[in-house]
Amino acid sequence: MKTFLKISAALCLIGSQPSYADQNTLIVPKFAEETKSSGLHSIYAGEWQYMVGGGVATFDCSGDGFPDMLLAGGEKPAHFYVNTSKQGGSLHFIQQKSGLELDHVTGAYPLDIDSDGIMDVVLLRVGENIVMRGKGNCKFERANEVWNFVGGDAWSVGFAATFEHGAEWPTLAVGNYIDRKQEALPWGSCTDNWLHRPDGAANKFGAPIALKPSFCSLSMMFTDWNKSGTPSLRISNDREYYQGGQEQLWHVEAGKEPSLYTDKDGWKFVRIWGMGIASYDLNFDGYPEYFLSSMADSRLQSLTKIEAGVPPKPDFTEGAFLKGVTAHRPYAGTDERPSTGWHTQFEDVNNDGMVDLFIAKGNVDRMPDFAQRDPNNLLLQGVDGKFIEVGDKAGIASFATGRGAAVVDFNLDGKLDLVVVNRRENAKVWRNISKDLGRWLEVKLEQPAPNVDAIGAWIEIKQGNKIVRREMTLGGGHASGSIGWRHFGLGASAETELRVIWPDGKVGEWQKLAADQFYILKRDKAAVAWKPN
Amino acid sequence: MKRFIGTFISIIFIFSSSSFADDTKSIAVMQNWYKLILQLVRHTATYSPPVASRSFAYLGVTVYESVASGSSKMQTLSGQLHGLNNLPKRQLGQQYDDAVALNAAIIFAAHHYFGNTGPTGQRAMLAMQKQISAQVEANTSLEVINRSKDFGQATAEAIYKWSLSDGGAKITNLGFPDKYTLTAGPAHWAPTSTIRLQQTPLLPNWGKNRPFAMTAGTTCALPPPPEYSEDKNSEFYKQAMEVYTTSKGLTPEQKAIARFWSDDPMLSYTPPGHWISIIWQVAEHEHLSAEKIVESLARVSIAEADAFIGCWSVKFQYDLVRPFNYIRKVIDPKWTALLITPPFPEYPSGHSTNSGAAAYVLSSMFGENYAFEDTTPQADGLAPRKFSSFDAAAKEAAQSRLYGGIHFRAAIERGLEQGHCIGKFAVNLHTSR
Repeated sequence: MKTFLKISAALCLIGSQPSYADQNTLIVPKFAEETKSSGLHSIYAGEWQYMVGGGVATFDCSGDGFPDMLLAGGEKPAHFYVNTSKQGGSLHFIQQKSGLELDHVTGAYPLDIDSDGIMDVVLLRVGENIVMRGKGNCKFERANEVWNFVGGDAWSVGFAATFEHGAEWPTLAVGNYIDRKQEALPWGSCTDNWLHRPDGAANKFGAPIALKPSFCSLSMMFTDWNKSGTPSLRISNDREYYQGGQEQLWHVEAGKEPSLYTDKDGWKFVRIWGMGIASYDLNFDGYPEYFLSSMADSRLQSLTKIEAGVPPKPDFTEGAFLKGVTAHRPYAGTDERPSTGWHTQFEDVNNDGMVDLFIAKGNVDRMPDFAQRDPNNLLLQGVDGKFIEVGDKAGIASFATGRGAAVVDFNLDGKLDLVVVNRRENAKVWRNISKDLGRWLEVKLEQPAPNVDAIGAWIEIKQGNKIVRREMTLGGGHASGSIGWRHFGLGASAETELRVIWPDGKVGEWQKLAADQFYILKRDKAAVAWKPN
Repeated sequence: MKRFIGTFISIIFIFSSSSFADDTKSIAVMQNWYKLILQLVRHTATYSPPVASRSFAYLGVTVYESVASGSSKMQTLSGQLHGLNNLPKRQLGQQYDDAVALNAAIIFAAHHYFGNTGPTGQRAMLAMQKQISAQVEANTSLEVINRSKDFGQATAEAIYKWSLSDGGAKITNLGFPDKYTLTAGPAHWAPTSTIRLQQTPLLPNWGKNRPFAMTAGTTCALPPPPEYSEDKNSEFYKQAMEVYTTSKGLTPEQKAIARFWSDDPMLSYTPPGHWISIIWQVAEHEHLSAEKIVESLARVSIAEADAFIGCWSVKFQYDLVRPFNYIRKVIDPKWTALLITPPFPEYPSGHSTNSGAAAYVLSSMFGENYAFEDTTPQADGLAPRKFSSFDAAAKEAAQSRLYGGIHFRAAIERGLEQGHCIGKFAVNLHTSR
């Protein structure tokens, strides 16, 4: 039986990279929806205050290597599931009491805040945000007081985390939305985003810093966009509600007050319905591209000018149209009104060595200008760097009202699966059941405390004469974040070379790694192969 | 002059006393609704400038007819606007509450002309409806309330039914057609951005819509723009070079002017909304009566809607290339304009036609030398600007498009002329008995 589809790649010119995608076909992965059989039942519920958000966090708290997950419930309690899938088998989840089952949760991000090796979770909420300390065995407890985390009272959806240079404790950025008390005239009422920095050397947070001005953020990401060694805070804002606003990039340097990049620095004025951020070095120039999900046209930004020895300016050129990732209207169904994009993530879903793009889609809530039946996108990248939509062919073209999501290998078979949180409807999970994809590699970074998961590191993989660079960010997407195995497609390669640039800038050695394996990459040590169970 | 935004102190404050006259109540009803509606226009993708102008015009006619129906001095526009006939009349000898009727009419109009908004806008409309209705209906008998509401809604409904046949009622895909064949050749419009949705021009058939007061979309026709040429001695090249050199040496004042009148859709009240905002600033400054306010709103919004119909008719007649594409092809391949180039043909300038028409009407009502200060884009951090007259404001709005790099001089000057031509039809409407 033919288990995968191939798209004629007349559009995919053969490039120089010896990747799986060099063949005259784009391999379309095949996904099977296993929501019901997997035991997943979680609805992102609520009215106006839950029109945004609806995230999912994936992380392993049971210690078996399989990613467990927490799904935001909106006005209802969040749902935590332990992943009981077997390697390569169908997906199975068991709902379990974890302590994370709070109501008014919009989004969730895993982060080992206290670097004790046990995953903690940040809950973004309508109301008070809460940091939940992991106690082990997937049990969590509130830690706002013990960690001096001021949860505030806002409508929080955006989140990003970093460990500033020399810090023992993370810095959290929280993106806040409209002043929800402004019922009749909420426009222009964007509330301040917050930066929760460490309180000196103490293992707790200091008082949150208001990032002024704030423009109704829906996604944030700490990213080292200029390879300076210090990540900046990129914020995508919803122009529906701000006045005088735009997209933002903040300098966040240890020991200094945060400050905005301005036009004097080269920052260009961009105003969109910013919903989600995804980043990846798509053109192998060493610098990340940024995909910004939006309503109607999405954006794909690349640095305009890169010169050897000259620090780049934050001047980005728009490339969504040329690359085929505008994703501006539904590609399936009969509703041809413009689309509404939310969570977005670059991953190689067909293991051909070329990273692909997922976008969760769904109307805000009966917005007549925009499509009501708006399928999620799965855009495969060809070797020419252009993307082709295959969501329907791959079997993930859900018409539910999507929000947050995670593209993650739930059953540890080297093929990425997918979970999407839907507004007012059950979340959906798909298993990647493709049979003949390319080869792959999954790695997990570990370093001594602090920052045990190496947030801010870069993984580099040789792919022919190119180097694939991937930044280990925590943030972006839409209200959704993952920590765990990082997946790379290798195409036909039986092995590859990989190195890590650790968050403090230390460059690890190149290591040869065999394909189709999991590896633990510990700082200053050789990679160790790992197998499930 | 106080800021327009300041007029909407609080609906609760305005109605906290029970001794206000109906006129004051009616003004407060309109003030609050217009404030919300301007926000809906700003924050709803449908309301590109042509579509916004149409919605404002039907709203303007609605508030006008609601107030005029209770006035012994005012004359209905029924029979004067194309296709508008047989509006409901108040029952003789029956008592009506003008503010309640007006509120009911606006509620209907807001939901029908500005209802494409999302959940926040819908929620805001319901909240506004609840708050204002509670205030205006206080201390009034249920019988009068019901009669007034029925009449207000019936008036609005009749106008809405009339609106459905004008050719502009249904907007799909935000106004961008799925298919459109570009006119071949460098003289003609071509997309100026990589926004996928804007690879076809906005509303190519808008010029065929039924006008309100103007005879037809082609009534105020314009001569052709300078003949396309890449010859450095040609008028076309000279006008393009003027845009280019101006853009290279923009003064802070010129940049401020360009941004003040930028009025981009989804980021502002749009050009027609900008002039509606000016009306409200004048209304506050002059303490205008409800009758004068609705006359201003109706005349100006009718002129603006007709201006967009007339302007679009000419735009797609000549289908002229934008400076963005011409300058990049002929003068400087890396040139960028200060403002976002709108996704439709260049000649004439929509803002110029619109502003010319609005200023012509306002000058006829308040005088040719009426000085005022405009605070409209202040919330976006742009400083207020003072003008010696409405005409001076319109000329600055028109000139701003050259500073912004999105129009040649001919489009600006002919646009203003077309606006004056179209504005006359709104001025000639009879509003007094």
